[in-house]
Amino acid sequence: MYTMLCAGCGHRTAMTLLDELIGKKRLKEKTILALDVACCSLLIDEVEYDAVMCAHGRVLDVAKGYQSVRKDKCVISYMGDGAAYSIGIEEMIHAARRNDHAFVVVINNGLYSMTGGQIAPTYVGDAAEDDQDAGFRAEKVLSGFPIRYLARAALTDGPNIERARKYLETAMDGYLSGSGFHMVELLSPCPTNYKLNPKDMGEMINGQMTRHYPLGEFVKEGERNPC
Amino acid sequence: MSRKFINGNEAFAYGALAAGLSFYAGYPITPSTDVYELLEREHEQYGVEFVHASSEISAINMVMGASIAGARALTVTSGCGFSLMQEGISYMAADFVPCVILNVMREGAGLGDIPRSQADYDQMTKGGGNGDYHAIVLACSSIRDCMEMPRIAYGLAEKYRNPVIVTYDSDIAHTRENVDIPLQGKADIDRLPYTLRGNSSGTPKLVQNVNYHDPDFTRTLSRKYEEIEREEQRWEAYETEDAEIVLVAYSICACVCRDAVRRAREAGMKVGLIVPVTLYPFPEKAFGELRNCRKIITVELSILKQMRRDVEYATRFRYEYGSVNSLSACPTVADILEIVREEE
Repeated sequence: MYTMLCAGCGHRTAMTLLDELIGKKRLKEKTILALDVACCSLLIDEVEYDAVMCAHGRVLDVAKGYQSVRKDKCVISYMGDGAAYSIGIEEMIHAARRNDHAFVVVINNGLYSMTGGQIAPTYVGDAAEDDQDAGFRAEKVLSGFPIRYLARAALTDGPNIERARKYLETAMDGYLSGSGFHMVELLSPCPTNYKLNPKDMGEMINGQMTRHYPLGEFVKEGERNPC
Repeated sequence: MSRKFINGNEAFAYGALAAGLSFYAGYPITPSTDVYELLEREHEQYGVEFVHASSEISAINMVMGASIAGARALTVTSGCGFSLMQEGISYMAADFVPCVILNVMREGAGLGDIPRSQADYDQMTKGGGNGDYHAIVLACSSIRDCMEMPRIAYGLAEKYRNPVIVTYDSDIAHTRENVDIPLQGKADIDRLPYTLRGNSSGTPKLVQNVNYHDPDFTRTLSRKYEEIEREEQRWEAYETEDAEIVLVAYSICACVCRDAVRRAREAGMKVGLIVPVTLYPFPEKAFGELRNCRKIITVELSILKQMRRDVEYATRFRYEYGSVNSLSACPTVADILEIVREEE
């Protein structure tokens, strides 16, 4: 599956985790996948769900419109860090402010990957170790709003992927059981644009990236953890 | 049914409710805000989802989401807000998603100002966003038009799976009349086969650029717009059969020109009027019915000759042409009569 992606791409891991989750919860016939453009859009021809390819950064708007009309559907808003925190930051902030009923997955690799690896507001590749302000940390911005769930995991190795699976399921359970904004950010490898082999890419995420992007659950059932 | 003293914007809102509106997202901007306010006030009573969007960009993308869910969705804007919506309109045109947008035109480019204007003619009829597409554009020239146009607009949007823009100027928006308020209509969200409901058939439905999966897209797109141009031209003609001078005007200018034609006829002058209802497709057929026409005069509230170019093309440049243009000062009946008299 997901043969359109580069070797070692984190989207494949993320979508596989989502496929497993949707299968486990028997949601296939209820799922609508709202995809952002660029690398995310490569998934559209291989998914088994009804899907819409949204304008760059507008996934949460399209999902909001759809969910308002069909409240019983499982709408998955799936986007990269450019969409989530750069061109779509306004949409992200207001969706969190309204605590929209949403299930959001953000793939964060710190780059604009589709266009060749230009640095994004999330880039921390050359930041000093003690630089607390490097990159765009979603929890600093979003945990001030009345959202229900916010967590970050890394798609690097077995234990981290297991953690990602757990966070996605927790978010999905919350989303399905009621209302409110549920989001999981996944630190994701992009070996092609970092020009690293898979092992070094994983080490770079587990080292440099997670120093600036701590892993964990920042908001759970509406309760904030210190971040 | 009740009778109310309402303006054009409010008539449009009631018209949309009668057409089965069930989702609205918008950002207030003068002179379109009455629609927003009325729906904000009455949406619960009508069971309409109302979203205060954080920008026009958000609003149009929410409308896209609601449309692909099967709702009759609406957003309403003016001027620079309409410019911000071009991204979403272009996406919906590319993806064959129906929707209705009301653009109550305001003066000038950039911020401009709030007086009456028809300066968005080219932006609406020639594209506005990126790429190869047209929105169908419907112009209202009376309060009654405002009430009836949403039904026509949703019908066309769903028939051709294409965005439809309804437009008028702030004089039509803010003129009040006693109007019968129609009963609320309902549009079943499952009525359209192409909306997304979840994959229960084994083959997922995808909303994306149609050319990604249509191998004959050139033909598909050409045929769609050819059919629209052939089948959907709408206009109203007044006293055109024997007219030597034919005025062309829409929205508030049409109201003024209608009076001018009546007065000119009383004075024995052979003057007629064509009021385009569809600005795209431009009603070329209206001009095929002219028998004695010598000169065509377009009256529009833009400094640049926007509609005039469509009139010239529609008539293959075979008449004399004149035009009345202004930033926002609407010509009076006396102004029009004087211009017509000079031509006699």
